[in-house]
Amino acid sequence: MSPRSIARAAARRGIGLIAVADHNTASMVDPVAEAAAEAGIGFLYGIELQTREEVHLLAYLDESSACHRFADLIYELLPDRPNRPTYFGDQVVVTLDEEIVATEPKLLVNSLDLGFDEAVALVGDHGGLPVPAHVDRETFGLIAQLGFPPENLRFDLVEIVEGVLPDGFGSAAPICSSDAHRPEEIGRRTTRFTVNATTTEEMVLAARRIGGRSVACVR
Amino acid sequence: MKLTEIIDRLSLDVFTPVPDPEADVGGGYVGDLLSNVLASAMPGSLWITIQHHANVVAVAQVTGLSAVLIVDGKRPDDAMREQARTSGVVLLGSTESAFEVAGRLYGLLVTER
Repeated sequence: MSPRSIARAAARRGIGLIAVADHNTASMVDPVAEAAAEAGIGFLYGIELQTREEVHLLAYLDESSACHRFADLIYELLPDRPNRPTYFGDQVVVTLDEEIVATEPKLLVNSLDLGFDEAVALVGDHGGLPVPAHVDRETFGLIAQLGFPPENLRFDLVEIVEGVLPDGFGSAAPICSSDAHRPEEIGRRTTRFTVNATTTEEMVLAARRIGGRSVACVR
Repeated sequence: MKLTEIIDRLSLDVFTPVPDPEADVGGGYVGDLLSNVLASAMPGSLWITIQHHANVVAVAQVTGLSAVLIVDGKRPDDAMREQARTSGVVLLGSTESAFEVAGRLYGLLVTER
């Protein structure tokens, strides 16, 4: 998916804020941020971490620089196994104008050498918002991999695919996102935030329903 | 077979105290998806896994497993050991793979019987 096609599809479908959260990498966040600005929609920086336990954890960040600092650290925790393009496709990095500027050599679908609890802490240390991804899915979801949410962790937001938030997440608010891997999947699930700005801090306040803010999956 | 005998025969590392050395191990279960272990492992089994998240301790406890055997040379951190110790869950270790350990355990519990 090219940066402009992502942003334009989102804008066309009435979406006001998108995030890019590629698997274990932030190589493509900046061109999509540019495309989102062009299309007049908001943008959040993100990475989808795959932890040692094969749990997917979304990290949302407000700033490009913080996202890249975090991504650089994550990259060191990714096993040094080469990508096999015949199986997984080429892992290309493109500009806003779809010029290929790099090809990622390490296989990005691998798990990081990082436990789930450590990953949650690390996201917070970098000023990011940790959100367990598709917790109700049978593959790579928190419940399937770890049985139940770790007791020592608290989340403001938890992503679900369908239905309701599973037990054990306390007062966390569910969000729904498209997890789009193809253009036609953009916007297939959305969340309505009532916030004062499109920042992670405002998302947390919305989760806690402070000052009239709110968050709800669009059904 | 007694848990202590299995520890001895398979030369396992022992990361926590063994509260009941006479405990009998009825079988084994291999799995890294904790939801699957919760749903399918039989009480009294020895659970073989590469997972060493703290939730493993809780799953072992509620499922009534005799011990958790962490393979591939992976090791529990101090927090996990402490949680296991206070919960009475036995954590064991092996540098061998799940395939090798499960094969040898099957030999002890099933083939040699």
